This record gives sequence, structure tokens and C-alpha cells, in this order.
Amino acid sequence: MVVGSVAKGCQVVVVGAGPGGYLAAIRLAQLKKDVILVESSPSLGGVCLNEGCIPSKALIHAADLIENAKNAGTMGLSIKVESVDMEKLAAWKDAIVKKLTGGVKMLAASNGAEVIHGKAKFLSNRKLEVQGESGAQLIEFEQAVIATGSLPFFPPGMEPDGQHVIGAREALSLNEVPKRLVVIGGGYIGLELGTVYAKLGSDVDLIEFFPKLLSQHDPEVGEALTRRIKSLGVKLHLGSKATKIERGPTTRVTIEDNEGKESVLEADKVLISIGRLPATRELGLKEAGVQADAKGFIKVDSRMETSAPGIFAVGDVVGGPLLAHKAYREAKVAAEVIAKRPSAFDNVVIPAVIYTDPEIAWAGLSEAEAKQQGYEVVTGTFPFKASGRAMTLNAAEGFVKTVADAKTKRILGVHIVGAEASEMISEAALAIEMGAFLDDLAQTIHPHPTMSEGLLESVDAALGEAIHVINKAR
Amino acid sequence: MAFDFKFPDVGEGIHEGRIVEWLVKEGDAVAVDEPFVKVETDKAVVDLPSPVAGVVLKLFFKAGDTIHVGDVIAAFGEKGEKPSASNAKAPQAVSPANQREAVTSTEPKPSAPAARPLATPHTRALARKLGVDLSAVAPTGHHGRITDDDVERSARGGVSAKPAPISAPPLSTAAPAPIITGDGEVDRVSVSHLRKVIAEAMALSKRTAAHVTHVDEADVTELMELYSKAKPAIEADGVKFSILPYFVKAAIAALKSHPLLNSSYDEKNEQLIIKKFYNIGIAVDTPEGLVVPVVKNADRKEMTEIAREVSDLAARARERKLGLEEIRGASFTITNIGPIGGLFATPIIHQPEMAILGLHTIKERPAVVGGQIAIRKIMYLSVSFDHRFVDGAEAARFMADLVRLVENPFLLMAKI
Repeated sequence: MVVGSVAKGCQVVVVGAGPGGYLAAIRLAQLKKDVILVESSPSLGGVCLNEGCIPSKALIHAADLIENAKNAGTMGLSIKVESVDMEKLAAWKDAIVKKLTGGVKMLAASNGAEVIHGKAKFLSNRKLEVQGESGAQLIEFEQAVIATGSLPFFPPGMEPDGQHVIGAREALSLNEVPKRLVVIGGGYIGLELGTVYAKLGSDVDLIEFFPKLLSQHDPEVGEALTRRIKSLGVKLHLGSKATKIERGPTTRVTIEDNEGKESVLEADKVLISIGRLPATRELGLKEAGVQADAKGFIKVDSRMETSAPGIFAVGDVVGGPLLAHKAYREAKVAAEVIAKRPSAFDNVVIPAVIYTDPEIAWAGLSEAEAKQQGYEVVTGTFPFKASGRAMTLNAAEGFVKTVADAKTKRILGVHIVGAEASEMISEAALAIEMGAFLDDLAQTIHPHPTMSEGLLESVDAALGEAIHVINKAR
Repeated sequence: MAFDFKFPDVGEGIHEGRIVEWLVKEGDAVAVDEPFVKVETDKAVVDLPSPVAGVVLKLFFKAGDTIHVGDVIAAFGEKGEKPSASNAKAPQAVSPANQREAVTSTEPKPSAPAARPLATPHTRALARKLGVDLSAVAPTGHHGRITDDDVERSARGGVSAKPAPISAPPLSTAAPAPIITGDGEVDRVSVSHLRKVIAEAMALSKRTAAHVTHVDEADVTELMELYSKAKPAIEADGVKFSILPYFVKAAIAALKSHPLLNSSYDEKNEQLIIKKFYNIGIAVDTPEGLVVPVVKNADRKEMTEIAREVSDLAARARERKLGLEEIRGASFTITNIGPIGGLFATPIIHQPEMAILGLHTIKERPAVVGGQIAIRKIMYLSVSFDHRFVDGAEAARFMADLVRLVENPFLLMAKI
């Protein structure tokens, strides 16, 4: 702390300006709280806006255009993508990011939340020190929201160097398309970026520890994705792990399959995407009296309050699915609880999307999970190859699967593989959150022709009343 | 083939429990019917036996974890076999597959839908706003859906609560919780499952019933004389004899004249259920909290038998060894506050019953007998009743009869 500096006071300090943090700050300001938002990087928006959700979606859209152009031959169109100017593509993407992060800044300011840039550290449950460019600033607060997010996890020997071995952030800002890309880790990020670079022209090897892709889902989800990924030319190494990386002009990655057989892959770039850890180091959790679990995720109750009364935490830093939209909801709850409103995170489902080709989206339980929880399950599946709209989009891959309680017919889960799955899943999330039964959806008119009719048809199939597919004998 | 053991429905209405202790480790061999886990449910701790013989492949929860009916808590099978269930609860979708270390965490996650009340987000928010615990609301919607009306009726203290507390929902559902400041040294003590059950049951009773307490005094000098003669004779046979059985018998005799106090309200059918059996709940103070074991068919039991049963039930209540059937099914409850002291209390009705009798300290007090002041053994008796269905006059008549019986043991003897 700078000698002679005066402590700043506020009602609520929010640490971290990602989706959780900026939403909490704006909502608190709306609720007439005097708020300071602290962010360590120069730009607001966190990983999501700067180096995650948004920039990756920009690249995915560009890559899809190339892929669609390639496939347009079927429709009698011959479109040739002459070249890919990665610098221009990056500039377009960066402009989007800048516009969005600027928008967050403007929203924070116009709602009256003060933004301070610098690295935050709790000194106690009432004091926070922010180490900024122009020195340290002491903030005294009444209540706090921790929203510091998560960081990519790199095992020893696989740390990124920006040149040969990279993380997701660098993968979104490459100057050129790598000829050979090895992706280690088949999670959201590995699958999305592996697909992007395959479409942009890289030879992609994808290494996944589990013997199947998306092994937490019902098998047909992973199977549909596996088929498509292979047809894009991605070489899958399932049930394998990388044991060694030798960096050089050609980086050599040694992998070992689950029978112990070793092989070596050569790469121009190696992307590490195997998981994320909470960003809580050197945050002073102990000084604040905030308890975390063994992995460092902060423990909270349904009101998002930590073990330290008056200190709340939201987003990736509290664990669960590391998703921006989960953080948004948690942040809203925390802000409202601080404003003494009766709020709680009592959501039944947190929908999730993977922007692969085809897209994968789900809300609620898989068939296997529902059975595990003791439900007698009824399911209905509608394949998009029977959908008029899917065919006219030249995207007849995938399906919608609805899982329901056989006894009450209450909808427990919906899983979509297919074009626009990301847009369709919200209807399923609403249905489950509202406690809808199969007939609630079955009796709702869905516009024709749309992809969303797939959900209606899968529900009809679960009722044994599907029209456009043959009903299962039961 | 691995066998997944799901937490069974161990008693009517029980939806969740807490693992107290694992009696086996992963890799241990178990025999059929060998107890493998201690689970705390409602007011009892029960040992669950293994339905199969084999080896414990996996235990899915830790001691202290809350489990819901239907959760897979353990997997049994052959040595070396893999459990078929990968995880007892919904797996967390952090990164669908991580190469080495799955970075997932445990909190917070949506609780098992099987155990949560079915209500829309709007209704859930309304319940929070009105401080209504959804798990205590009787649903009127399709397949148990709770409507806004159900919540509002419950908030008005209307006849909407379920007949008995069936689960231990979180305590913090009430509207704006005061911010507890960290000023000064504090201890944070976890609230036990039993405490949550008691908390919910008490709050539910207060929200539901229109409580009124009627108090009277009784001169029990003669009863005490009778008791002090009987006690050594009966205890010579090895039974610890207390005065409580006299009050159980007197209460039953008074209940027979005033059956409304031995009834329950069936909200669904809008009917009163007048009970023709006399199962008397006896409130027992245990280190963990209040437990109410039941003396079934007390009208058909001898007083010595009642004394023996009460002392056995009370001892086992303190050891948390009561079976669920031993704490359910009371038609009327007696709470004996006398030994601790005080003038009189206003006990809360044990739902779904209609009334509760409070026995208070017996003390020598001056009293007027035949125009003279005499030293008499006097006590206060209270009856808390639900004024929705029992009027004050009826409760006063019940109390007058009761007082007459305990003041005149020869009348009581004629009624047994």
C-alpha cells in the first residue's frame, strides 16, 4: 500500500469483470448499491468476451462458411474460397470483441458502477487491496462478490510457449492456419477449435483420454459427433493420453493408448485444452475467511454466499459447469440477495452447448442419468434426416432426443445434435424449468418448417404418437 | 453383474436422509443382510442391510452427505468388477472429457429432481417472497404441481400443509435473511438433520394450526398419596414406576368424552378424522433434540405396562435407536415439563394431531379446603388446541373433566 493513500469505501466490491462480475456490478448498481468493479486486465468482459465464447464463435462462423461453400456443390453452386486471410479474420473478430467489451464498460458507467483496474487481494473480510498500474489502492467494503473465474490447466511440461504449444487464447489469434495441429483434450474447447482448424485446412489430430467422445452423454450423441468429425478429416486418438511434448520447428507429441502402445504425432502447433481451474490464487481467500474445496473452487450456498458472511461468489470460481450463462444467473441471485431480496439459485437445469459441427446442446438429464436417479424412463427420438427444414438447410444430420418420466410423463431432459441446436435448446430449458409434461409441448404449435419441430416430434415419439417417424413398438 | 444399491424408501414419506457412518470400505466382502451403512432419516438412525453377497465395489457418498430416495449409494459385485453406475448423481458437465484431471466440483448443483417440489420459477420465487417452504405445501396441480394459489393459501396459514413433516428442507428459504456480520468471535455450528426436522415441524404447526392454550390447576394431593403407596409395591417387581401413567389414563378417559381432541383434519377431503384408538405420544428431551415416541393403544394397556414402555422408548430415543414405526401414528401427545420446573408452558401441537397436553411442576401450595387454608400438592395442566376445529368451550370442558379425574383418583380408577 502506498504510504499516505486513503482507503476508498463502498457498499459492495465486485472482483472480476467477466460475465458473472459485470452482471453483478450492473445489477447491484440498479438496486441502488454503491459498487466498485475491480478487473485485473485492461478490458472488461473476462475470458468469455475476450478470449472464449465470443471470439471462438466468430472463427467458427467463418469456418462454417468455408465448409458450406464446399458443400454447396450439391445445390449446383460452385463457390470457391480463394484464400483465408487470418489477419483480416482476426481483425474482424477483434472488432466484435472491442465493441462488446466497450459496451460492458458503457453499461457499467451509465448504471453508476465504478471500475478500477488492478490485481485484487483481500486483506480481511472488509478490506481489499488493488494493485494497479499507478500503485495500490485500499478498498473498504461492506459486502463483496468474488467473480474471478477460471484459468486453463496446463500439466507440467505442457505449459504454453505461444510458439509451439498454445492454449485456447493463443489458438484464437493465430496469424496463419497451422498445417498440422495436435489438440490435446476433447472437451468443449478442444472439439470446437479442432473442428474450426480442420475446416480452415489444418490436418488435425485430436487426443482424448476417454475411449469415447462426450462420454457423459447417452452414446448416440458422441457417435453422431464422431462420425461428423471423422468426415471432416480429424484423426481421433481416443482412450489416449499425451505423455511427452518435444518442442521444435516440428513439435513431436508422444501419445499412449489405453493398452500402453506409444506413437508419435508431429505438429506445427499443439493446443492444450484439458480443463480449467479456479482463479483464486493470491486472492487472499484465507484472509477474507472464505473456504474453498480441495481444487480451489469456492463453496457457496444457494444464495451464493460463501463461508464468510457478506462475501458472495459466482461463476466459474464456484465450480459446477463452467459456463457464462450459469455465471449470469448466479450473479443476478447474489446481487438480489445483497439487496435483501428473496432470491436463490434454485434452477432445475443449466443448459449447455458445444459449437461443433453439428452443434450439440442439452438441458436436463440424459437417459442414463435419469435411470440412475431411479426414474422409469420413456424416450422419444426424432432424426433430422426426416425434417424438411433440415434437408433444405443441407444439414440433415443429428437428432432430438427427449427423456421423460414414464410414470408422470414429466420432461427430464432434452438432447439435440444438429444445426441450430444452440438456439433450440432454450425451449427445452424453459419446459423443464416450468415442470412441463410431454403433452404440454405436444399441444404447443411449432411453426413449420423449422428445426424446432424436431423437439415437438421427439416429444410425440415419446408419447408413441409421432407422425413423421415410425413409432417404436411398446 | 454389479448391483447398484439405491437408497430405498425406508418409511412412509421419507425422501432424504444423511449418511452417518459406512460400516464397510470399498473392497470389503459383505454377506446378505449384513448391515453396511448407518443412515439418519427423520428421527431415527437405521442400519441398511446388503441385499446381496459380494464385494463392495464403490461407495458413492461420504459420511455426512445428504442422500435422496433413489440415489445409488453403493455398488456391490464380484471382486475386480467395475461398478456399472459411474456416479450416483448427475455427472457435472465441466469439460466433457479431460485428459488427466477432471476439473469438476461439487457445489452448487441442482438437487435431485426426484426430491424437489414441482413448481414453476414464478411460483418458487413467490414462495421465497412469502417465506413459504415449498416442500411443506400440499400441491393441487397435475401430478403434484404446486400452484401460486397453493403457496398463497399456505402463506395465509390456511389449511394447506401436509399432515406430517416428511423431509428436512433447508431452513433458509424465508425472505430477506438478516446479514450476519462478522464482528466479534463466533462459532458456526451445523444444524443436524433432526434439528431441521424439528424446526420444520414446529414452524409448520405454528403456520397451520390456530393455537390456543387453556390452563387450569389441579390439586393432586390424593393422587400423589395413591402413587407413593403404589410405587414401592410395583417397583419391587422390577418396573420403574412413574406418575405419568396416571395422567395417560386420565387423558384417555377425558378424550373419550371429548373425541374431537383425539382427531386430525383431512384437508384434501375436508373431513375430520375422529380416532377411535388412543396412541399417546410422549415428548422426550434428548441431547440431539425433541423426539416423540408413541405408546400405541394405551387405553388397552395396564399402567405398569405403560410405565415400562415409556421408560424403554425414552431410553432408546436418547440413543437414537427408535424405529420409524415407533415415532409415528400418535393420536394425542403429552409433554411433561414438570421435572424441569416453571409455572406453565404453551406447547406446540404435534401435527397432524388436534391437541397437546402439558404437565407442569407439582408443588406444595396453600389452598382453601373446607374453608381452611391447607398445604396441598398443586399443579398446572395446559392443553394447546387447534381453534380452527376445537372451540375454547370444548377444550375447557375437556380440561375440567381431566382435572376432576386427577383430583379424585377413585373416579379415575373407575374409568380405567
